[in-house]
Amino acid sequence: MTSLVSAQGVSKQFGSFTAVDNVNFEIESGRILGLIGPNGAGKTTLLKALLGLTDCEGQLSVMGLDPFKQRKKLMQNICFIADVAVLPRWIKVSQLLDYVEAIHPNFSRARAEELLQQTKIMARSKVKELSKGMVTQLHLSIIMSIDAKLLILDEPTLGLDIIFRKEFYANLLNDYFDEERTILVTTHQVEEIENLLTDVMFIDEGRILLDSPMEALAETYVEVLASGENADKARGLGPISENSLFGKSVMIFEGVAREHLEKYGELRTPHVADIFVAKVKGARQ
Amino acid sequence: MITHLLALLKREIWEHRAIYVTPIAIAGIVVLGTLTALMFAGDFAKELDVAMFGAQNIAGETERRAVLSGLFFGSSGLFFLALGILTVFYSLDSLYAERKDKSILFWRSLPVTDAETVVSKLLTALVVLPAATIVAVMATHIMNLILTSIWVSMKGGDAGLLIWGSVSLFSDWLSLLIIVYATAIWMSPFIGWFLFVSAYSKRSPFMLAFLPLVALPMLEGIFMRSSEFAQVVWGRLGSIPIYSGIDLESLFDEDRFELSDQSLSVLSYLDIGHFLSSPAMWAGVVICGLLSFGAIYVRRFRDDS
Repeated sequence: MTSLVSAQGVSKQFGSFTAVDNVNFEIESGRILGLIGPNGAGKTTLLKALLGLTDCEGQLSVMGLDPFKQRKKLMQNICFIADVAVLPRWIKVSQLLDYVEAIHPNFSRARAEELLQQTKIMARSKVKELSKGMVTQLHLSIIMSIDAKLLILDEPTLGLDIIFRKEFYANLLNDYFDEERTILVTTHQVEEIENLLTDVMFIDEGRILLDSPMEALAETYVEVLASGENADKARGLGPISENSLFGKSVMIFEGVAREHLEKYGELRTPHVADIFVAKVKGARQ
Repeated sequence: MITHLLALLKREIWEHRAIYVTPIAIAGIVVLGTLTALMFAGDFAKELDVAMFGAQNIAGETERRAVLSGLFFGSSGLFFLALGILTVFYSLDSLYAERKDKSILFWRSLPVTDAETVVSKLLTALVVLPAATIVAVMATHIMNLILTSIWVSMKGGDAGLLIWGSVSLFSDWLSLLIIVYATAIWMSPFIGWFLFVSAYSKRSPFMLAFLPLVALPMLEGIFMRSSEFAQVVWGRLGSIPIYSGIDLESLFDEDRFELSDQSLSVLSYLDIGHFLSSPAMWAGVVICGLLSFGAIYVRRFRDDS
């Protein structure tokens, strides 16, 4: 496997505010990485740096290119959906296809038209006449018709209803993703995408709190449901978080072997969202 | 590169439909005006018969040419006024609207450099907008000639001689082309300034563009008691160095003014050499270039998040 993205000591300052603070990570090709972080954690800034939309300190390489200096070349192999609102409202669907076809060397118009056939979007419609969900469908249809190595999605389903959200990820996985491609996605709704991720990265206050493959997550993190005396004993092993549920304590452990914990109660693999909350709270204390 | 540029220019025309709608609308108004004038002219039947007889039999070809060229350039005024206004609003909007509606993130997600984008907007203002106006003026010209020919023929006049034999189509069109593009190049520092403001402005680019142009001459007048800035900036509007040898007094002085083909051709008053060797013209082009670089820089480096 080769590293598609490599970041070493990447930082970005806005005045005295540090949006991204000395971040190091690698993304290998063929992975689906979820970048999870609260608002203002530095997710969008980091994505912008990867896309060459903003400059930054440190070493950042995407497909062997410097994103900021070689943005045009980079954009031939990266696709990007920022938010549902970014398609220009005045443009007609057919014009949009004409434009992307002329600009993008890896765009297949036939494929885009085929994908649009499956929706209610008309070629003569203007973007402003489409519903929010349809605009996302349109954007996704264009993106999926571009043969790109890296797809970056920043809150792609924000403001969409549950049916569109499910459909969005289903289309992405079934019609787009393969070993040649890599997807980097940020979202608030972790639970909706956690079963399609291969890797997960937590970010808060500009720092990476966790960077792990999903399989390893299940090995490293264990959730114990314990009560009474068992709960006290388990607590002695140093859980990273504890909540109570129906009179039982729910504790999450990091790096504690399962055989040490199973005698105290029922073991489960915690949800990504729960690990995330535990890590963020832990880091902020 | 060329396909990119063409796609970008097309994109500008899709977004700013006023680029072609405005000249077409004005052409419609001018042609309609001609039609109305010709219809009402019937009330002066006797005078017209005399005039037509005179034009056909007494006036020379040169006079007839003069009248038709005069009508042609006279009816173009409205187009030029609209072109000026359109250029100001287009340039100020071109790099501002995409930030306002956030579509800039989509445009920048495609493999197009900021330089290509800004150059496409500069070329739209300098080349495409004037071209749309020139085409509309030519079409209006032809339509008016056809309408007038029909009218002259209906009155029993010889349209072949009076209209088509007397019109200097290509000389007039060439003059039009030269005047419009020379003006565009002469005004290019303003276009560069508007593009820069359009890329830079956080809100109301119109205010930001015109406030310094109005306030600086006032401040200069108050504090330095001079008007250099106003002369350089506002004075530029009326001093394009393409015309030469027009002695307005002689045009209205019948004793000195001699009607000849040479004196009636607009082309003969245009001095391209003088224009191309004008330091003020080149200074303007350099300023336009620098401001366009500024616009590229701002679009590339500014982070709006």
